Amino acid sequence: MIKNLFVSLFILVTTVGFSQEKATLNGYIKDAENGEELIGVTVYIPQLKAGAITNAYGFYSITVPVGTYEVQFSYVGYKFQSVTKELSGNVAFNVELQNEATVIQEIVISDKRIDENVVSLQMSKNTLDLNRVRKLPALFGEIDIIKNIQMLPGVITAGEGTSSFYVRGGSADQNLILNDEAPIYDPSHLFGLFSVFNADVIKDSELYKGGIPARFGGRLSSILEVRTKDGNNKNLNVAGGIGTMASRIMVEGPITKEKSSFIVSARRSYVDLFLKAANEDNLVHFYDINAKINWKTNNKNRFFVAFYAGRDVFNFSDEFGFAWGNITGTFRWNHLFNDRLFSNTSVIVSNFDYKLELEDPVQGFQWLSNLQELSVKNDLSYFISTNHELAFGYHLTGRRFSPGRISPNTSGSIFSEVELQHMYALDHAFYISDQYRLTDRLTVDYGFRLSIFQNVGKSDVYLYEDPQDNININRTDTLHYGAWKNIKTYVNIEPRAALRYIISDEQSAKISYNRMVQNTHLIAAGTVPVPFNTWNPSGYYLEPQLADQVAVGYFQNFKDNMYEFSAEAYYKDIKNVTDFADNADIFFNEDLSTEFRQGKAWSYGIELMLNKTRGKLTGSVGYTLSKAMRKVPGVNLDKSFVANYDRRHVVNIQAAYDMSSRWTLGATFTYSTGRPITLPTGKFEYQNYHPDVISERNGYRLPAFHRLDLSATYTPAKNANRRWKGQWVFSVYNAYNRQNPFTIYTRITKNDDGDVIGDGNTKEARMIYLFPILPSITYNFKF
Amino acid sequence: MKNLFIIIICSSIFWSCDEPVRLDVNQGESRVIIEGQVTNAAGHQYVKVSRSNGFYESGKTPRVTNATVSVSDDAGNDFPFVHNPGNLDDSAGYYLPQVPFIGEVGKTYFLTVTIDGQIYEAQDKLFRVTPIDSLSYRIDEEEREDPEDPGKFYEVLIYAKEPQDTKDYYLFKFYRNDSLKLDFDTDIYFSDDEVLGESIDGVSSPIYFAPGDVARCEIFSISRTAFVFYSDLQSLLNSDGGLFSQPPANSRTNLSNNALGFFQASALHVSEIEIKE
Repeated sequence: MIKNLFVSLFILVTTVGFSQEKATLNGYIKDAENGEELIGVTVYIPQLKAGAITNAYGFYSITVPVGTYEVQFSYVGYKFQSVTKELSGNVAFNVELQNEATVIQEIVISDKRIDENVVSLQMSKNTLDLNRVRKLPALFGEIDIIKNIQMLPGVITAGEGTSSFYVRGGSADQNLILNDEAPIYDPSHLFGLFSVFNADVIKDSELYKGGIPARFGGRLSSILEVRTKDGNNKNLNVAGGIGTMASRIMVEGPITKEKSSFIVSARRSYVDLFLKAANEDNLVHFYDINAKINWKTNNKNRFFVAFYAGRDVFNFSDEFGFAWGNITGTFRWNHLFNDRLFSNTSVIVSNFDYKLELEDPVQGFQWLSNLQELSVKNDLSYFISTNHELAFGYHLTGRRFSPGRISPNTSGSIFSEVELQHMYALDHAFYISDQYRLTDRLTVDYGFRLSIFQNVGKSDVYLYEDPQDNININRTDTLHYGAWKNIKTYVNIEPRAALRYIISDEQSAKISYNRMVQNTHLIAAGTVPVPFNTWNPSGYYLEPQLADQVAVGYFQNFKDNMYEFSAEAYYKDIKNVTDFADNADIFFNEDLSTEFRQGKAWSYGIELMLNKTRGKLTGSVGYTLSKAMRKVPGVNLDKSFVANYDRRHVVNIQAAYDMSSRWTLGATFTYSTGRPITLPTGKFEYQNYHPDVISERNGYRLPAFHRLDLSATYTPAKNANRRWKGQWVFSVYNAYNRQNPFTIYTRITKNDDGDVIGDGNTKEARMIYLFPILPSITYNFKF
Repeated sequence: MKNLFIIIICSSIFWSCDEPVRLDVNQGESRVIIEGQVTNAAGHQYVKVSRSNGFYESGKTPRVTNATVSVSDDAGNDFPFVHNPGNLDDSAGYYLPQVPFIGEVGKTYFLTVTIDGQIYEAQDKLFRVTPIDSLSYRIDEEEREDPEDPGKFYEVLIYAKEPQDTKDYYLFKFYRNDSLKLDFDTDIYFSDDEVLGESIDGVSSPIYFAPGDVARCEIFSISRTAFVFYSDLQSLLNSDGGLFSQPPANSRTNLSNNALGFFQASALHVSEIEIKE
């Protein structure tokens, strides 16, 4: 079957490909200063009104009738370049573009539009402008990709101080977070105060919220693709920063000039010094290490090896401690079969683990859990002609889930060794899509992804008298499966389609549809996942989650693309969304399957965004109106309820102002409707306790959340003549000291010392606030 | 476990704070609350019937004094209960057996409560309990340096043999000089034996004692249903508002007809030790 698919594919490709007398121009586009490949550069031939965009590796290929053409290269933040090329046969042409940031004070040369917003076929995608992000205020001065993702239209956050985000009515586990193609299962440091992404090494980050291309799969709601820098292949560079919470250092440089390069970076927090829980007995810290080397044997073969390791460590009085972290590795081989067939082959490993340990002669134990993944991917792009670009590939992923093992760590411990059984899954995916330019105005991209997911042994499956009875658990039988034996296979076809119609040079309309399938389920019942949540594969009891999303959008640029405006509306429908019974026991439960409840979820909304891309003042204003609902049998008395991550209104404003060559100001404002919350409608007495009476789930909302952050970046004038370049960043988080609600809990009425007030029969509700006004200073350097 | 995270986050960030907030919530309908207990110890049989009240209401919750209460077992014995036979002021809502009886290990007990024509029923099985072999005590050095209650820094150690061939569930209660104590007012001390080994050698008590105090530890056998009830109750009492933990929910119960609370059958074993300097 696989063979046949590829054979027919190649027949299709070759017949389409060789039907005309044509020439191909291809090559890599790089940053002139550091040799970094640039992703998403527009290559445009005005005579033909035809163009191409560089792929994730900076490669482009454009096939046109033989002739002499003006070829234009344009990219946001870079000087425009234009060359005249005589094209006959195949021409390899690598281009280096000059970063505008390095030519400050010159008049911007480009008078050509950079109009991706309008002309790109892809909708519902946001690319973070890292140059702007650096000018904006950040919590404790630590630039955080995820905190910026949370500011995009259609994306919401659980409040502040968390790294989870929710896209278009999807839960936090429905986002696939990729770091150089390797999945990150928990992106949080310090329970989400920071994320695992060290901004110093990030080259590019993109969020797909809809119209998700066929090459991605595995999660329902979004793909966050983060790529790290390849390393400067021209000069040795050192950069770093000393911040309030953490310090960073990054070294990059050529191994062989222009051929190979490396980049290594490290970041470590000294939160130890700043948290009150941390004193001489208590230690809290995190670190990240990124390393990458790449080399080019010739224009046809390039290799990359990337490595990431990050970990959080908490130790309390040498007795109790826990830790978690991700380790990922990616090996990639870019190969050009011919001028038009680009291939990337990747081997990816990812490991997430956590550990809890109590050191005590009697109650000592160690609790370990991990998830390991190995995958092989082959992605091909065939640039058939200016009218057809084919993308196809095959992904194979193997996963091993080890949800937990508790073992005694002393001989006198009361604990015995208990391990939850491992689970194994194999995931095959084939995809193909064709980007077809029907006319100058109309382009479509259509294709599908075939996902074959297998839950395999070695494993035991328990059968129950009633599989949903989580109180009286009566196992009736056990099915034993040997290693690699098929327990359950799920085959799903995921159609993907997108259409773009250019109304005028500055206006376009887009529509997209995608079906997504998710076969890994996060076992988390709260709003914000914690690192101690585990994952389960689809299998005997859990069915794949399916999402269908339709999105339509209108895109317009103004004033020579200085302003970008977009309006999108979406509707998303999810089947088999994984939820849990009320009061589910999700930690270390051998009969976890009795807690699963799958139901449906639906969401819809409108997202408006205005973006100013050039000038002294840059920034964006985003507004989202949305609704997200769930209906799950066995939850909330089978009635539909507002999802935890529902927010009716969200407004986000970001602005950066270049005051002078020395000072840049930044501001961020965010407003959102309060988080839905379940509150008590009464209370009662039971023994000495005073529990609440709970009624409808998520029947109330926290007060609205809003906050203003400010920053000022000072770049000393003397920098210009020195190799050492320093920069001061001053920022104020929560500038008007709003007390933003984090959550509400209830207790017996007490005074501030924790002593009961009154007769002990009255209760109070208390709201937790996280951050008051917080100033911070960071010093960044580069040499 | 569930609420560990919010405690860590809030205690570890310098700046977090919490303040009382007035909830603007609709008061739900008043629910019938039943707290019943049958044990194998004399004088430990009672049923308390009350109602829930508004979240911000002060004083005790309303007591139901006109209910008809009876307990029966699977051997056909009936034990009618009467309301507050001693006519004590603080025992309104409490129903005691008309004729004292004790529960027997292995029997299933049935509760029937009738209030204004509405019938509320429950059943629970009485399992044998693992006895505490002995208690001892020692000074907790950390507590001595910084005691929460002045002078109280002795912890009591519990020794027992956990039977490995059965699935057992336990509830513990600790008394200092006949007065029930909790380390924190929402603590419930209960356990299953999922990860327990056989030898329980010196598990320390959650509360501290001073020389001269009499420490008493009660161990109750509970059913799986009761374990689920206490586990839910603990989650509810310590809920973080659904941020890291699941949104709060009422405890699952063995009571019918939408009543809240629990009817519990337990075997009980008591150990005592006097703390000496």
